[in-house]
Amino acid sequence: MGGTRLLGWLVGAAERESVDWDAVYQEELPRVYNFFRYRVGNPATAEDLTSLAFEKAWRARRRYRRDRAAVSTWLLAIARNVAIDHYRQPRIELPIGDADVASDAAETPETSALRRSDLRRLETLMGGLPPRESELLALKFGAGATNRAIAKLTGLSESNVGTILHRTIAGLRAAWDTGGRS
Amino acid sequence: MSEDFLTRLREEPRPEFADELRRRLREIESAEATPASRRRARFVPVLAGAAFTAVVGLAFILPSVGAAARSFLDLFRVKRFAAVPVDPERLTRLQRGGLDLKSLVSEQVEVLEPGRPPEPVAGAEAASAAAGIGVRQPAVLPRGAALAEVAVGHPGAFRVSLDVAKLELVARAVGVEDPDIPASWNGATIQVQAPPVVFMRYHRGADDFMLIQSRNPAIELPEGVDLARLGTLGLRMTGMTPEEARLFARTIDWRNTLLVPIPLQGAMFREVEVRGQKGLLVTAMQAPKAADGAPRPGRWRSVLLWEDGGQIFALDGPGQGIEILEMAQSVH
Repeated sequence: MGGTRLLGWLVGAAERESVDWDAVYQEELPRVYNFFRYRVGNPATAEDLTSLAFEKAWRARRRYRRDRAAVSTWLLAIARNVAIDHYRQPRIELPIGDADVASDAAETPETSALRRSDLRRLETLMGGLPPRESELLALKFGAGATNRAIAKLTGLSESNVGTILHRTIAGLRAAWDTGGRS
Repeated sequence: MSEDFLTRLREEPRPEFADELRRRLREIESAEATPASRRRARFVPVLAGAAFTAVVGLAFILPSVGAAARSFLDLFRVKRFAAVPVDPERLTRLQRGGLDLKSLVSEQVEVLEPGRPPEPVAGAEAASAAAGIGVRQPAVLPRGAALAEVAVGHPGAFRVSLDVAKLELVARAVGVEDPDIPASWNGATIQVQAPPVVFMRYHRGADDFMLIQSRNPAIELPEGVDLARLGTLGLRMTGMTPEEARLFARTIDWRNTLLVPIPLQGAMFREVEVRGQKGLLVTAMQAPKAADGAPRPGRWRSVLLWEDGGQIFALDGPGQGIEILEMAQSVH
């Protein structure tokens, strides 16, 4: 096995290049977009930030190390930094209900109106959360990240992530139910 | 507690947005493919061909020593390379079974000294100094090819611990029903200190040739483990029957032979002689994708592995091996 480590290391180097970036784009675009959708609410802003995150990632993709993080985690780390930068800048944010909400062609006017109403309520509830809780929800429900991945991204412990999410979701659940709909 | 209400914000990105963003990302890809920026990035793609072909399924590379019980640690030195046909179905079974082979392996690996990626150096002399070896170069190059870049990387050092339960898990997942692994192997460690590696890229039009060389790594083999038995298990995991593995194992000099797994389909291999040493030539058809994702016509690419004077070499290049074989014969 004299060459195993050498060759293993070469494979690691090879894997840095052998990522199928087309597949990465297809699989990760909805996750990153929905992370921003949950994080900032407004779809147009979510699209802008998604573009920014992907362009940063693409320019840095040759430095991506598969042995250090899954590509989804790596992309979310970039997206998270983009979101942090976004919130550092002065901005005017449209509430989600005032922005275009993608509608399903099969929806009736009634279900469409109900959905828009739900989205407004949800956005309002999430808009009232502290930044940390809002970010964890965006990672969990927008990006579909696991608690372990969120812990890696945020530097919190996995159990801490679980506790914060549980408490936040319980609070939102109660507020949502108070509104009379679940 | 239902969390359904929290998923209602999720939606698919608009197709127009997705298409427009993909177009912009392709522009970034195209800009990076210009000659000026291309040179720096060329190491890895060429390397990918060499490394991938040489070591598909590293988990199956199970070198060994003949003696079953040693009273002290031994050193393994690569002298020869032997191809082992691997049935890709075995790896598919692993994936179907939900086993993450990479995670299973990585959990058993302790990094003692982190590796560092290749860094360009001024030339062969600088590479010799950085790597601590007498860098050898080919006297004969393929027509039109010229040395384009030299780099030195450091694979680092690591230790692998054997975990009998995990080994059995993987063996059964790929179809070895009776792995028969002694419990006494549990916790045995293999320590590897890999010396620096020199990469020399030769460029010709759209083609690159990559010569990789290194001193033989130092491998400390565990005491009390019959690694020939471990090697035979590895052979069975590649798809061999117990009898085939037993017969194949008898042809291997476990002290100095590195097994190179080769996919059953899509690749060819043959033993060749390089400067008086036995080498292994592996050839495979590659079907790269164009920038727009469309498949391009396949091209042959070959990797030649050999050992000479305590150094191991890998030479990767286009074609079915004629040019790299001629090039390898002139490396001194």
